[in-house]
Amino acid sequence: MELYCLESDTAVKAQSDPNILYDERVLQSLLTIEDSFLPQCSYFQQVQKDIQPYMRRKVAGWMHEVCEAENTNQDVFPLAINYLDRFLAVMPTRKNYLQLLGAVCIFLAAKLKDCRPLSAEKLCVYTDNSITPRELLDWELVVLGKLKWNMASVIPNDFIEHIMRRLPLPKDKQAMVRKHSLTFIALCATDDCLAMNPPSMIATGSMAAAICGLQLDHNDQRLSRDDLMDLLAKITSTEVDCLRACQEQIERVLASSLQQGQQYRPDTGVRGGSKSREQQDQSSTPTDVRDVNL
Amino acid sequence: MASHKPMLRSLGGNRRVCRNLFGPVDRDQLRIEYQAALREDLDEVSKRWGFDFKSDKPLESSDFKWEGIPETGVPLLYRSCVLAVGQSEGLRLADRVVLTKRVRMEKENIPQTPEKCAMELEGLERTPEKGDKAGLKRKQTNITDFYQTKRRVVWMPRKSGE
Repeated sequence: MELYCLESDTAVKAQSDPNILYDERVLQSLLTIEDSFLPQCSYFQQVQKDIQPYMRRKVAGWMHEVCEAENTNQDVFPLAINYLDRFLAVMPTRKNYLQLLGAVCIFLAAKLKDCRPLSAEKLCVYTDNSITPRELLDWELVVLGKLKWNMASVIPNDFIEHIMRRLPLPKDKQAMVRKHSLTFIALCATDDCLAMNPPSMIATGSMAAAICGLQLDHNDQRLSRDDLMDLLAKITSTEVDCLRACQEQIERVLASSLQQGQQYRPDTGVRGGSKSREQQDQSSTPTDVRDVNL
Repeated sequence: MASHKPMLRSLGGNRRVCRNLFGPVDRDQLRIEYQAALREDLDEVSKRWGFDFKSDKPLESSDFKWEGIPETGVPLLYRSCVLAVGQSEGLRLADRVVLTKRVRMEKENIPQTPEKCAMELEGLERTPEKGDKAGLKRKQTNITDFYQTKRRVVWMPRKSGE
Protein backbone atom coordinates (compact mmCIF):
# COMPACT_ATOMS: atom_id res chain seq x y z
CA MET A 1 0.00 0.00 0.00
CA GLU A 2 1.38 3.40 -0.92
CA LEU A 3 0.07 6.75 0.20
CA TYR A 4 0.68 9.64 -2.08
CA CYS A 5 0.92 13.23 -0.98
CA LEU A 6 -0.53 15.54 -3.54
CA GLU A 7 -0.04 18.73 -1.58
CA SER A 8 1.54 21.58 -3.46
CA ASP A 9 2.76 24.98 -2.40
CA THR A 10 -0.53 26.67 -3.04
CA ALA A 11 -2.66 26.78 0.06
CA VAL A 12 -5.86 24.83 -0.32
CA LYS A 13 -8.68 26.42 1.60
CA ALA A 14 -11.24 24.35 3.38
CA GLN A 15 -14.77 24.58 2.11
CA SER A 16 -17.28 26.26 4.35
CA ASP A 17 -18.83 23.86 6.80
CA PRO A 18 -22.64 23.74 6.50
CA ASN A 19 -22.86 22.59 10.11
CA ILE A 20 -21.40 25.91 11.16
CA LEU A 21 -22.95 28.06 8.48
CA TYR A 22 -26.52 26.83 8.80
CA ASP A 23 -26.71 26.74 12.56
CA GLU A 24 -28.45 29.82 13.91
CA ARG A 25 -26.53 29.62 17.15
CA VAL A 26 -23.21 30.39 15.50
CA LEU A 27 -24.15 33.87 14.34
CA GLN A 28 -25.84 34.53 17.66
CA SER A 29 -22.75 33.46 19.56
CA LEU A 30 -20.51 35.60 17.39
CA LEU A 31 -22.74 38.60 18.07
CA THR A 32 -22.73 37.87 21.78
CA ILE A 33 -18.99 37.54 22.24
CA GLU A 34 -17.70 40.05 19.70
CA ASP A 35 -17.67 42.99 22.13
CA SER A 36 -15.21 41.27 24.42
CA PHE A 37 -12.57 41.51 21.69
CA LEU A 38 -12.91 45.24 21.10
CA PRO A 39 -10.18 47.62 22.32
CA GLN A 40 -11.10 48.74 25.80
CA CYS A 41 -11.03 52.44 25.06
CA SER A 42 -10.29 55.01 22.45
CA TYR A 43 -6.60 54.99 23.19
CA PHE A 44 -5.30 58.10 21.43
CA GLN A 45 -6.83 60.32 24.10
CA GLN A 46 -6.68 58.05 27.10
CA VAL A 47 -3.59 55.87 26.91
CA GLN A 48 -1.10 56.94 24.32
CA LYS A 49 1.07 60.03 24.62
CA ASP A 50 3.48 59.46 21.78
CA ILE A 51 1.23 57.85 19.20
CA GLN A 52 -0.98 59.88 16.87
CA PRO A 53 -3.79 58.61 14.62
CA TYR A 54 -1.70 59.15 11.48
CA MET A 55 0.96 56.81 12.89
CA ARG A 56 -1.58 54.07 13.28
CA ARG A 57 -2.64 54.59 9.68
CA LYS A 58 0.99 54.41 8.63
CA VAL A 59 1.76 51.19 10.47
CA ALA A 60 -1.56 49.66 9.43
CA GLY A 61 -0.82 50.49 5.79
CA TRP A 62 2.58 48.86 6.09
CA MET A 63 1.07 45.80 7.78
CA HIS A 64 -1.37 45.46 4.93
CA GLU A 65 1.44 45.66 2.39
CA VAL A 66 3.36 42.94 4.22
CA CYS A 67 0.30 40.69 4.30
CA GLU A 68 -0.29 41.33 0.64
CA ALA A 69 3.33 40.71 -0.32
CA GLU A 70 3.29 37.48 1.63
CA ASN A 71 -0.12 36.56 0.29
CA THR A 72 -1.35 35.66 3.75
CA ASN A 73 -4.80 34.36 4.50
CA GLN A 74 -7.42 37.12 4.36
CA ASP A 75 -8.09 36.87 8.07
CA VAL A 76 -4.50 37.62 9.06
CA PHE A 77 -4.52 41.35 8.47
CA PRO A 78 -7.78 42.27 10.28
CA LEU A 79 -6.81 39.97 13.13
CA ALA A 80 -3.36 41.56 13.42
CA ILE A 81 -4.98 45.00 13.54
CA ASN A 82 -7.31 43.78 16.28
CA TYR A 83 -4.26 42.73 18.32
CA LEU A 84 -2.58 46.08 17.64
CA ASP A 85 -5.58 48.10 18.80
CA ARG A 86 -6.17 45.99 21.87
CA PHE A 87 -2.53 46.27 22.86
CA LEU A 88 -2.42 50.02 22.35
CA ALA A 89 -5.56 50.38 24.44
CA VAL A 90 -3.83 48.91 27.49
CA MET A 91 -0.16 49.82 27.14
CA PRO A 92 1.43 53.21 26.51
CA THR A 93 3.90 52.65 23.68
CA ARG A 94 6.64 54.73 22.08
CA LYS A 95 6.18 55.50 18.43
CA ASN A 96 9.55 53.90 17.64
CA TYR A 97 8.15 50.58 18.82
CA LEU A 98 5.03 50.79 16.72
CA GLN A 99 6.48 48.95 13.76
CA LEU A 100 7.89 46.24 16.02
CA LEU A 101 4.43 45.90 17.50
CA GLY A 102 2.87 45.71 14.05
CA ALA A 103 5.29 42.97 13.06
CA VAL A 104 4.55 41.02 16.25
CA CYS A 105 0.82 41.29 15.58
CA ILE A 106 1.22 39.93 12.04
CA PHE A 107 3.46 37.18 13.41
CA LEU A 108 0.82 36.11 15.91
CA ALA A 109 -2.14 36.44 13.56
CA ALA A 110 -0.36 34.40 10.88
CA LYS A 111 0.32 31.67 13.41
CA LEU A 112 -3.36 31.51 14.20
CA LYS A 113 -4.86 31.83 10.73
CA ASP A 114 -2.34 30.93 8.08
CA CYS A 115 -1.35 27.45 7.09
CA ARG A 116 2.15 28.77 6.38
CA PRO A 117 3.05 31.07 9.25
CA LEU A 118 5.51 33.88 8.58
CA SER A 119 8.98 33.57 10.04
CA ALA A 120 10.32 36.11 12.49
CA GLU A 121 13.34 36.64 10.25
CA LYS A 122 11.22 37.51 7.27
CA LEU A 123 9.18 40.02 9.22
CA CYS A 124 12.37 41.68 10.43
CA VAL A 125 13.52 42.10 6.86
CA TYR A 126 10.23 43.86 6.14
CA THR A 127 11.09 46.40 8.84
CA ASP A 128 14.34 47.00 6.96
CA ASN A 129 16.02 45.14 9.82
CA SER A 130 15.24 47.89 12.28
CA ILE A 131 14.27 45.13 14.69
CA THR A 132 15.87 41.76 15.39
CA PRO A 133 14.14 38.37 15.50
CA ARG A 134 15.07 38.16 19.20
CA GLU A 135 13.23 41.40 19.91
CA LEU A 136 10.25 40.23 17.89
CA LEU A 137 10.04 37.01 19.90
CA ASP A 138 10.49 38.88 23.17
CA TRP A 139 7.66 41.25 22.38
CA GLU A 140 5.50 38.44 21.20
CA LEU A 141 5.36 37.36 24.82
CA VAL A 142 4.58 40.88 25.98
CA VAL A 143 1.71 41.20 23.52
CA LEU A 144 0.35 37.79 24.47
CA GLY A 145 0.47 38.79 28.13
CA LYS A 146 -1.26 42.12 27.57
CA LEU A 147 -3.99 40.47 25.50
CA LYS A 148 -4.33 37.82 28.21
CA TRP A 149 -3.65 35.13 25.63
CA ASN A 150 -7.08 35.81 24.18
CA MET A 151 -6.05 35.48 20.59
CA ALA A 152 -9.07 33.99 18.84
CA SER A 153 -10.74 37.36 18.33
CA VAL A 154 -13.96 37.76 16.44
CA ILE A 155 -13.20 39.75 13.29
CA PRO A 156 -15.48 41.17 10.60
CA ASN A 157 -14.50 38.36 8.21
CA ASP A 158 -16.19 35.87 10.53
CA PHE A 159 -19.58 37.37 9.70
CA ILE A 160 -19.33 37.51 5.94
CA GLU A 161 -20.63 34.04 5.10
CA HIS A 162 -23.32 34.18 7.75
CA ILE A 163 -24.68 37.47 6.46
CA MET A 164 -24.28 36.56 2.83
CA ARG A 165 -26.33 33.42 2.95
CA ARG A 166 -29.21 35.38 4.48
CA LEU A 167 -29.32 37.89 1.64
CA PRO A 168 -31.15 37.39 -1.67
CA LEU A 169 -27.96 37.61 -3.71
CA PRO A 170 -27.80 36.19 -7.21
CA LYS A 171 -25.51 33.15 -7.20
CA ASP A 172 -23.19 34.50 -9.87
CA LYS A 173 -22.54 37.69 -7.90
CA GLN A 174 -21.71 36.09 -4.59
CA ALA A 175 -18.01 35.66 -5.21
CA MET A 176 -17.65 39.29 -6.19
CA VAL A 177 -19.68 40.58 -3.24
CA ARG A 178 -17.50 38.48 -0.95
CA LYS A 179 -14.33 39.79 -2.51
CA HIS A 180 -15.38 43.42 -2.38
CA SER A 181 -16.61 43.07 1.19
CA LEU A 182 -13.29 41.62 2.30
CA THR A 183 -11.43 44.42 0.53
CA PHE A 184 -13.55 47.02 2.31
CA ILE A 185 -13.03 45.27 5.63
CA ALA A 186 -9.28 45.49 5.12
CA LEU A 187 -9.68 49.13 4.24
CA CYS A 188 -11.68 49.73 7.42
CA ALA A 189 -8.92 48.13 9.45
CA THR A 190 -6.44 50.72 8.22
CA ASP A 191 -8.75 53.54 9.31
CA ASP A 192 -8.45 54.61 12.93
CA CYS A 193 -11.97 56.12 13.12
CA LEU A 194 -13.60 52.74 12.53
CA ALA A 195 -11.47 50.82 15.02
CA MET A 196 -14.01 51.00 17.83
CA ASN A 197 -16.92 49.60 15.82
CA PRO A 198 -17.93 46.04 16.55
CA PRO A 199 -16.81 43.57 13.85
CA SER A 200 -20.41 42.74 12.88
CA MET A 201 -20.99 46.40 12.15
CA ILE A 202 -17.88 46.63 9.97
CA ALA A 203 -18.88 43.44 8.16
CA THR A 204 -22.44 44.62 7.58
CA GLY A 205 -21.36 48.09 6.47
CA SER A 206 -18.73 46.67 4.14
CA MET A 207 -21.18 44.28 2.60
CA ALA A 208 -23.76 47.02 2.14
CA ALA A 209 -21.13 49.22 0.50
CA ALA A 210 -20.11 46.34 -1.74
CA ILE A 211 -23.68 45.57 -2.83
CA CYS A 212 -24.50 49.22 -3.44
CA GLY A 213 -21.22 49.68 -5.28
CA LEU A 214 -21.97 46.75 -7.55
CA GLN A 215 -25.47 48.15 -8.19
CA LEU A 216 -27.13 44.83 -7.57
CA ASP A 217 -30.38 46.64 -6.81
CA HIS A 218 -30.95 47.16 -10.53
CA ASN A 219 -32.28 43.64 -10.79
CA ASP A 220 -33.70 43.16 -7.32
CA GLN A 221 -35.62 45.76 -5.36
CA ARG A 222 -34.81 43.94 -2.13
CA LEU A 223 -31.19 45.00 -2.54
CA SER A 224 -31.94 48.69 -2.82
CA ARG A 225 -30.18 50.85 -0.27
CA ASP A 226 -33.05 51.22 2.22
CA ASP A 227 -34.44 47.72 1.96
CA LEU A 228 -30.96 46.29 2.25
CA MET A 229 -30.31 48.32 5.39
CA ASP A 230 -33.47 47.00 7.03
CA LEU A 231 -32.60 43.46 6.11
CA LEU A 232 -29.02 43.73 7.34
CA ALA A 233 -30.09 45.39 10.57
CA LYS A 234 -32.46 42.52 11.20
CA ILE A 235 -29.78 39.90 10.52
CA THR A 236 -27.26 41.36 12.94
CA SER A 237 -29.84 42.83 15.35
CA THR A 238 -28.49 46.37 15.10
CA GLU A 239 -30.05 49.80 14.74
CA VAL A 240 -30.61 50.87 11.15
CA ASP A 241 -29.23 54.34 11.94
CA CYS A 242 -25.95 52.98 13.34
CA LEU A 243 -25.60 50.76 10.35
CA ARG A 244 -26.24 53.55 7.89
CA ALA A 245 -23.74 55.79 9.66
CA CYS A 246 -21.17 53.02 9.50
CA GLN A 247 -21.76 52.39 5.82
CA GLU A 248 -21.44 56.09 5.06
CA GLN A 249 -18.18 56.26 7.01
CA ILE A 250 -16.86 53.27 5.07
CA GLU A 251 -17.83 54.92 1.80
CA ARG A 252 -16.03 58.11 2.88
CA VAL A 253 -12.89 56.14 3.71
CA LEU A 254 -13.19 54.38 0.39
CA ALA A 255 -13.59 57.64 -1.52
CA SER A 256 -10.59 59.27 0.13
CA SER A 257 -8.55 56.16 -0.44
CA LEU A 258 -9.53 56.20 -4.12
CA GLN A 259 -8.37 59.80 -4.35
CA GLN A 260 -5.04 58.94 -2.78
CA GLY A 261 -4.73 55.99 -5.08
CA GLN A 262 -5.06 58.28 -8.05
CA GLN A 263 -2.47 60.70 -6.71
CA TYR A 264 0.15 58.08 -6.06
CA ARG A 265 -0.63 55.77 -8.88
CA PRO A 266 2.65 56.01 -10.80
CA ASP A 267 4.75 54.35 -8.12
CA THR A 268 2.44 51.51 -7.21
CA GLY A 269 4.11 49.07 -9.50
CA VAL A 270 4.18 46.67 -6.59
CA ARG A 271 0.53 45.95 -6.94
CA GLY A 272 0.56 45.76 -10.70
CA GLY A 273 0.01 42.04 -10.64
CA SER A 274 -2.98 41.97 -8.37
CA LYS A 275 -4.45 45.02 -10.04
CA SER A 276 -4.51 43.56 -13.48
CA ARG A 277 -6.00 40.43 -12.06
CA GLU A 278 -8.78 42.40 -10.43
CA GLN A 279 -9.39 44.42 -13.55
CA GLN A 280 -10.89 41.44 -15.27
CA ASP A 281 -13.68 40.82 -12.85
CA GLN A 282 -14.37 44.21 -11.37
CA SER A 283 -15.00 46.24 -14.46
CA SER A 284 -18.60 46.78 -13.44
CA THR A 285 -17.71 48.36 -10.11
CA PRO A 286 -18.59 52.04 -10.05
CA THR A 287 -16.55 52.74 -6.91
CA ASP A 288 -13.46 51.58 -8.62
CA VAL A 289 -11.82 49.12 -6.29
CA ARG A 290 -9.02 48.63 -8.74
CA ASP A 291 -7.54 51.91 -7.70
CA VAL A 292 -7.76 51.39 -3.98
CA ASN A 293 -4.35 52.01 -2.59
CA LEU A 294 -4.62 50.31 0.77
CA MET B 1 23.10 45.89 3.52
CA ALA B 2 24.55 43.83 0.72
CA SER B 3 24.02 40.66 2.67
CA HIS B 4 20.27 41.24 2.77
CA LYS B 5 19.88 41.44 -0.95
CA PRO B 6 19.42 37.75 -1.69
CA MET B 7 16.86 37.57 1.08
CA LEU B 8 15.01 40.54 -0.31
CA ARG B 9 14.86 38.89 -3.65
CA SER B 10 13.38 35.82 -2.06
CA LEU B 11 10.66 38.05 -0.64
CA GLY B 12 9.43 38.54 -4.15
CA GLY B 13 11.55 41.51 -5.06
CA ASN B 14 9.21 43.70 -3.11
CA ARG B 15 11.61 46.24 -1.75
CA ARG B 16 9.23 49.06 -1.14
CA VAL B 17 7.53 47.15 1.63
CA CYS B 18 10.86 46.69 3.42
CA ARG B 19 11.17 49.96 5.20
CA ASN B 20 11.64 51.45 8.60
CA LEU B 21 8.63 53.57 9.49
CA PHE B 22 9.51 55.47 12.64
CA GLY B 23 13.26 55.75 12.83
CA PRO B 24 15.80 53.78 14.82
CA VAL B 25 14.80 51.76 17.86
CA ASP B 26 16.71 52.32 21.10
CA ARG B 27 17.79 48.75 21.81
CA ASP B 28 18.69 49.20 25.48
CA GLN B 29 15.51 51.08 26.22
CA LEU B 30 13.51 48.42 24.42
CA ARG B 31 15.14 45.71 26.52
CA ILE B 32 14.38 47.58 29.75
CA GLU B 33 10.77 48.09 28.79
CA TYR B 34 10.43 44.48 27.73
CA GLN B 35 11.63 43.31 31.12
CA ALA B 36 9.40 45.82 32.87
CA ALA B 37 6.40 44.63 30.89
CA LEU B 38 7.09 41.00 31.75
CA ARG B 39 7.58 41.87 35.40
CA GLU B 40 4.28 43.71 35.38
CA ASP B 41 2.54 40.67 33.91
CA LEU B 42 4.13 38.40 36.47
CA ASP B 43 3.08 40.68 39.34
CA GLU B 44 -0.43 40.66 38.02
CA VAL B 45 -0.70 36.87 37.86
CA SER B 46 1.03 36.59 41.24
CA LYS B 47 -1.67 38.73 42.73
CA ARG B 48 -4.39 36.85 40.93
CA TRP B 49 -3.26 33.41 42.02
CA GLY B 50 -1.75 34.37 45.35
CA PHE B 51 1.51 32.75 44.37
CA ASP B 52 5.02 34.12 43.98
CA PHE B 53 6.21 32.48 40.78
CA LYS B 54 9.78 33.72 41.20
CA SER B 55 10.40 31.98 44.48
CA ASP B 56 7.80 29.29 43.80
CA LYS B 57 6.05 29.93 47.06
CA PRO B 58 2.49 30.86 47.94
CA LEU B 59 1.93 34.44 49.04
CA GLU B 60 0.92 35.20 52.61
CA SER B 61 -2.38 36.72 51.64
CA SER B 62 -4.11 34.60 49.09
CA ASP B 63 -7.58 33.52 48.09
CA PHE B 64 -6.22 30.08 47.37
CA LYS B 65 -4.84 27.40 49.61
CA TRP B 66 -1.71 25.99 48.05
CA GLU B 67 -0.49 22.48 48.67
CA GLY B 68 2.89 21.10 47.70
CA ILE B 69 3.02 17.82 45.79
CA PRO B 70 6.08 15.88 44.64
CA GLU B 71 7.24 16.83 41.20
CA THR B 72 6.97 13.27 39.96
CA GLY B 73 3.23 13.55 40.49
CA VAL B 74 2.72 16.14 37.78
CA PRO B 75 3.07 15.79 34.03
CA LEU B 76 6.48 16.54 32.59
CA LEU B 77 5.23 19.72 31.02
CA TYR B 78 4.67 21.38 34.39
CA ARG B 79 8.01 20.59 35.97
CA SER B 80 10.49 23.30 36.73
CA CYS B 81 13.02 22.84 34.04
CA VAL B 82 13.09 24.61 30.76
CA LEU B 83 14.00 22.62 27.75
CA ALA B 84 15.44 24.60 24.91
CA VAL B 85 14.76 22.31 22.04
CA GLY B 86 16.84 22.95 18.97
CA GLN B 87 14.77 24.91 16.52
CA SER B 88 16.49 23.71 13.42
CA GLU B 89 15.54 20.33 12.16
CA GLY B 90 19.10 19.11 11.91
CA LEU B 91 19.80 19.34 15.60
CA ARG B 92 20.19 15.92 17.17
CA LEU B 93 18.67 14.99 20.46
CA ALA B 94 22.06 14.85 22.14
CA ASP B 95 22.73 18.46 21.21
CA ARG B 96 19.68 19.72 22.94
CA VAL B 97 20.39 21.83 25.96
CA VAL B 98 18.60 21.55 29.20
CA LEU B 99 18.49 24.79 31.09
CA THR B 100 18.09 24.49 34.78
CA LYS B 101 17.93 28.09 35.82
CA ARG B 102 14.84 27.71 37.94
CA VAL B 103 15.77 24.38 39.34
CA ARG B 104 18.99 25.78 40.75
CA MET B 105 16.98 27.92 43.10
CA GLU B 106 16.41 26.26 46.42
CA LYS B 107 13.43 24.05 46.59
CA GLU B 108 12.56 21.78 49.40
CA ASN B 109 10.31 19.31 47.70
CA ILE B 110 12.03 18.13 44.58
CA PRO B 111 13.15 14.55 44.74
CA GLN B 112 14.34 14.68 41.16
CA THR B 113 17.50 16.10 39.70
CA PRO B 114 17.37 18.04 36.47
CA GLU B 115 19.54 15.44 34.74
CA LYS B 116 17.01 12.73 35.43
CA CYS B 117 14.33 14.93 34.09
CA ALA B 118 16.31 15.56 30.95
CA MET B 119 16.74 11.86 30.33
CA GLU B 120 13.06 11.27 30.59
CA LEU B 121 12.42 14.03 28.16
CA GLU B 122 14.80 12.46 25.72
CA GLY B 123 12.89 9.25 25.95
CA LEU B 124 9.63 11.00 25.37
CA GLU B 125 10.84 13.09 22.51
CA ARG B 126 12.30 10.18 20.61
CA THR B 127 10.96 10.08 17.12
CA PRO B 128 10.82 6.95 14.99
CA GLU B 129 14.28 5.61 14.14
CA LYS B 130 14.01 6.52 10.52
CA GLY B 131 13.98 10.22 11.39
CA ASP B 132 17.08 9.86 13.56
CA LYS B 133 19.08 8.04 10.95
CA ALA B 134 18.09 10.42 8.26
CA GLY B 135 19.99 13.10 10.12
CA LEU B 136 19.89 16.43 8.38
CA LYS B 137 17.57 15.57 5.58
CA ARG B 138 14.12 14.83 6.81
CA LYS B 139 12.26 12.27 4.86
CA GLN B 140 8.53 12.21 4.74
CA THR B 141 7.35 9.48 7.06
CA ASN B 142 5.06 6.80 5.86
CA ILE B 143 2.11 5.68 7.84
CA THR B 144 3.73 2.26 7.95
CA ASP B 145 6.51 3.73 10.11
CA PHE B 146 4.01 3.91 12.91
CA TYR B 147 1.67 1.02 12.22
CA GLN B 148 2.30 -2.37 10.79
CA THR B 149 0.57 -3.06 7.57
CA LYS B 150 -2.09 -5.66 7.85
CA ARG B 151 -3.62 -7.59 5.10
CA ARG B 152 -7.26 -6.71 4.88
CA VAL B 153 -9.72 -9.53 4.73
CA VAL B 154 -12.38 -8.64 2.27
CA TRP B 155 -15.77 -10.13 2.91
CA MET B 156 -17.70 -8.06 0.51
CA PRO B 157 -17.10 -8.19 -3.19
CA ARG B 158 -15.15 -5.11 -4.22
CA LYS B 159 -16.78 -2.45 -6.27
CA SER B 160 -15.32 -1.99 -9.64
CA GLY B 161 -12.62 0.59 -9.68
CA GLU B 162 -11.66 0.08 -6.03
